[in-house]
Amino acid sequence: MTSFNDTRHLWALGAFLAAVGLVGMVVRRELVPDDFGRQGPYRASALADVAARPSLFQADATCHACHASVEHERAGKPHEAVRCAHCHGHAVEHVAMARKAAEDSSIAVPPAAEWDGDFLTKIDLYVTKDRATCLSCHQAVVGMPADFKKIDVAVHLEEQGASEPLAKDTCFECHGGHDTAP
Amino acid sequence: MSFFDLPIVTSGPAVSGACASGGCATGGCASGGCSTARPDLKSETSRRDFLKTATTLTLGAMSLTLLPGAMAGDDAVPPASKPSGFPSHAKKPMYGFLIDTTKCTGAGKCLTACRVENGVPEGQARTWVERYVHFKDGRVEVDLVPEIGYAASGEPQPAAEDVLRAYFVPKLCNQCVDAPCNQVCPVHASIKSPEGIELVDTDRCIGCGYCVQACPYGIRYMNHETNVADKCNWCYHRVMRNEQPACVEACPTGARVFGRIDDPDSEISKRLATLPTSVLKQHLGTLPLTRYVGLTDEVT
Ligand code: SF4
Ligand code: SF4
Repeated sequence: MTSFNDTRHLWALGAFLAAVGLVGMVVRRELVPDDFGRQGPYRASALADVAARPSLFQADATCHACHASVEHERAGKPHEAVRCAHCHGHAVEHVAMARKAAEDSSIAVPPAAEWDGDFLTKIDLYVTKDRATCLSCHQAVVGMPADFKKIDVAVHLEEQGASEPLAKDTCFECHGGHDTAP
Repeated sequence: MSFFDLPIVTSGPAVSGACASGGCATGGCASGGCSTARPDLKSETSRRDFLKTATTLTLGAMSLTLLPGAMAGDDAVPPASKPSGFPSHAKKPMYGFLIDTTKCTGAGKCLTACRVENGVPEGQARTWVERYVHFKDGRVEVDLVPEIGYAASGEPQPAAEDVLRAYFVPKLCNQCVDAPCNQVCPVHASIKSPEGIELVDTDRCIGCGYCVQACPYGIRYMNHETNVADKCNWCYHRVMRNEQPACVEACPTGARVFGRIDDPDSEISKRLATLPTSVLKQHLGTLPLTRYVGLTDEVT
């Protein structure tokens, strides 16, 4: 072993590396979010951020909370599984307003008897007796399961002795909506 | 395997082969090839010492930045509450998604529900429904269910008498256990939640689009309103408050089933236990959590 006389170089190298390390730490502190890596390789609070989104598509239970008679009409009928939203609209605003009105009594809600189609449409809802709504599910196209009730409009009308053009609400002359029979 | 486990190769097999055939008598075979004149032993020793010391210093400096303590913000966490392992989280519920293609009627109600729920811009989609039509002449055609339904779209339909079999296949994120989209994200904006659901951290996403390229199922897209990546996340926000994903809630026929697969009494567990199910592109090894009933080879 000979004497070691490169100490000066080592100090220089050490100082340089320490500076690099320091800069690295500062840059990292700036770039890495505070809660990064706490749960996994990601920003832990992002989970809560995503989870905080509101639920906008309303389950039928939400509608039935106010419109209980409709729940009763539909119970056990083939259309029980059809969601209110499919025929009446998604009601995002309607529900938001209804919730606000429930909390704040100063918000006037017109009595149900006065709720015509127009009023409902204003808040993203509609009373629908439109055959297009029925056909959006029941128009026969290839690919539907064999046991699903589907109609070919032309054939169906001929069977019923009717013909085009028909009124918008023609389906309801024979079929129910909420309480349609099997 | 970490960087430090990598074998350090200084000379390829070809070089050592040449070395052997050259017949180096001294056996001194440096990486440059054969060398008969060994370098000065004295200076070699001190150089080695120098390198040793330098390496120690370098590693020391590197570990300064790598130390957990050097991580920003960690000092704010009291040591007791720090998670010990990595990844470390309490046992979380496990979720699964089952698509029964034999029940889908192609009405597209789930599509609007998803758009409303997640604010998906028009022209883009987190979920869609494909229709596979097998014709009697052997052709197979695939089209997309219009969101407004076939009736309103007025699209010409194949004649039923030409068709051997047709069925609808809803597509959504497979929540791959080994998700390629997660692996490519350069800024850790792709998150595998403790529940196994793949999420996008929209605050962190830089919109590079790597993940859109990486998903073999075409699920991810660049949201052209927010300019960051977006994807089906099984309505994580709904699931976290014990609601069903919007598309499942919307489906009137039960073609979409969602639930906990760690609970043997859940609807999905029961159906998974009894039905023959399969996953999309199994050969890719992405281990999807979304399982299907009634897939054929044509569906990818
Ligand atoms: S389906 Fe695509 S987006 Fe979903 S987890 Fe797998 S790779 Fe990621
Ligand atoms: S687009 Fe966003 S989430 Fe996707 S890889 Fe790039 S940064 Fe990550």
